[in-house]
Amino acid sequence: MIAARGVADPTPAYYPGCSLDGLGNPYEVSARQVLAHLGLKLERIVDYNCCGATEVKNLSHDVSLALPSRNLALARARDHHEVVAACSGCVYSLARANEAIADEPTRMRINALLEEGGAPTYDGGASVQHLLEFIYRRAGPERVRAAVRRPLTGLTVAPYYGCLYTRPRCYTGVGKLAGTDDPIHPHFLDELLVACGADVARDFRAKTICCGGGHALSDLDVSVAFSASILAEARRAGADLVATICPLGEINIENNLDRVRAAYGAEVVRPVAYFTQLMSLAFGASLREARLADNFSRPDRLLRSRGFT
Amino acid sequence: MPIVEKSLVEVDRNDSVKLDGIDVSGDWSAFLRSRVVADLDPCILDWVKDQPLGSTITRCWQCGTCTASCCLHTDYGMAEFNPRYFLYLAKIGYATELRRYTNTIWRCLSCNKCVERCPKGVKVEEVVHAIGRYLRVTGAAPESPADRFDRAFTENLLDRGILDEVALFRTYERLEGRRTPLREMLRMGVRLFWSGRLRTGPFANRTRGWNRMREVLRARLAEDERRALSTASPVRAGAGGTR
Repeated sequence: MIAARGVADPTPAYYPGCSLDGLGNPYEVSARQVLAHLGLKLERIVDYNCCGATEVKNLSHDVSLALPSRNLALARARDHHEVVAACSGCVYSLARANEAIADEPTRMRINALLEEGGAPTYDGGASVQHLLEFIYRRAGPERVRAAVRRPLTGLTVAPYYGCLYTRPRCYTGVGKLAGTDDPIHPHFLDELLVACGADVARDFRAKTICCGGGHALSDLDVSVAFSASILAEARRAGADLVATICPLGEINIENNLDRVRAAYGAEVVRPVAYFTQLMSLAFGASLREARLADNFSRPDRLLRSRGFT
Repeated sequence: MPIVEKSLVEVDRNDSVKLDGIDVSGDWSAFLRSRVVADLDPCILDWVKDQPLGSTITRCWQCGTCTASCCLHTDYGMAEFNPRYFLYLAKIGYATELRRYTNTIWRCLSCNKCVERCPKGVKVEEVVHAIGRYLRVTGAAPESPADRFDRAFTENLLDRGILDEVALFRTYERLEGRRTPLREMLRMGVRLFWSGRLRTGPFANRTRGWNRMREVLRARLAEDERRALSTASPVRAGAGGTR
């Protein structure tokens, strides 16, 4: 069951996920700055737990549903109807739980687990969306444009959406529900970046290919090859840097940079930054405030050379 | 349940044909050999379709959209990674052929393009993982790097409720017998520390009130693993052989 988007929920719940409290922290910090500038409010889920990503389901179906369900139950306990997650992996597994618990026997099994573990039970009703979709729908390019103080003029950005932001629509509802992005040719990120004054690499064809992050550690050659192909395509499309919307994609590409450089040449490498970092920069934050020096690919160096401080 | 494959093309016999002095006579259309596959193992399909992950396998029509969409098959060019074929082999129970792919099936990256595009609503990515799991629990495939990662990941997050990314990285490197040079680790550690992101070990994030949930979920995890093992019959010796 996919709850309809846009149920009147003035302050949706915010599910941070492990990464935003860990390696992906620059994403969270910059996202908060962006939301504050746009006057958007989210309420953080207190005492959330890991969503299980795509790994847990390979070992236990019930555990892979109980983990996200506990978070959705916490959101419902605070009377939220919408949950916003910044990580595409979290969006996938939270939305997957929503679909699975529409089946009554499954819901009863999962709720028994939640009850036994001392958590509130979950009967559906919390629709899940990505932070990008939330910003696009609630603020939109117009309000973003109005908030820009220092346009990203002269910067060509490759908008990289990755796998699980839209896919699969049977879980995420993207392309199925009104007001969601296009699952084959997503464009929300393109529009927000243009509103920030950046040039978007229009012909960037690696928008939704896999980054190899699923096997970032367990199948190195494959994940390096995918990271390299995204960067090489960004180069071909004339981009200066790649904007990401998922901490797994960001960290996987950055973690592979040395190997990409060794195997495919230094000219392929581009810095990678979270889209909220670029938006925050356009809204007037300094490179330091937007935490751009914290990314392992050091987008701050490129941006400084382009006159940003 | 023998399945017979035979030539679907009319025999095109050409005798004494010479092209540029080279003898090319023979059967020109014999690219499909007649063969009989015996001893197919129907247990494979029974097991896979009873798993929550594999339950959609019987909806498959073998159109091949999954393989055409697959990022490993198409973008990376790993021709032998062919999800349509894996589903086919599992459905007919062709164990020996399936076992040729034990070092391939685990490489699925879970990008979900196949699930997105399947016209029949098969959750291909999940079914492929169920088939991989069947091979592992029956002892036909060794534990793969992806299996080890899934396990390390799950154990790590069940411990405190929130993933400790740095510890996961180190645990997994140990499992694979890899070691990032100490200098590299220190360089990384210092950067994470100064940016307030070295949240590992005693400084790791944790979910308050997680203890009970941890025990409940660990018990369910062990129970599911036991059930997977006890319901899967070992791949029969010689099952799926050809003659």
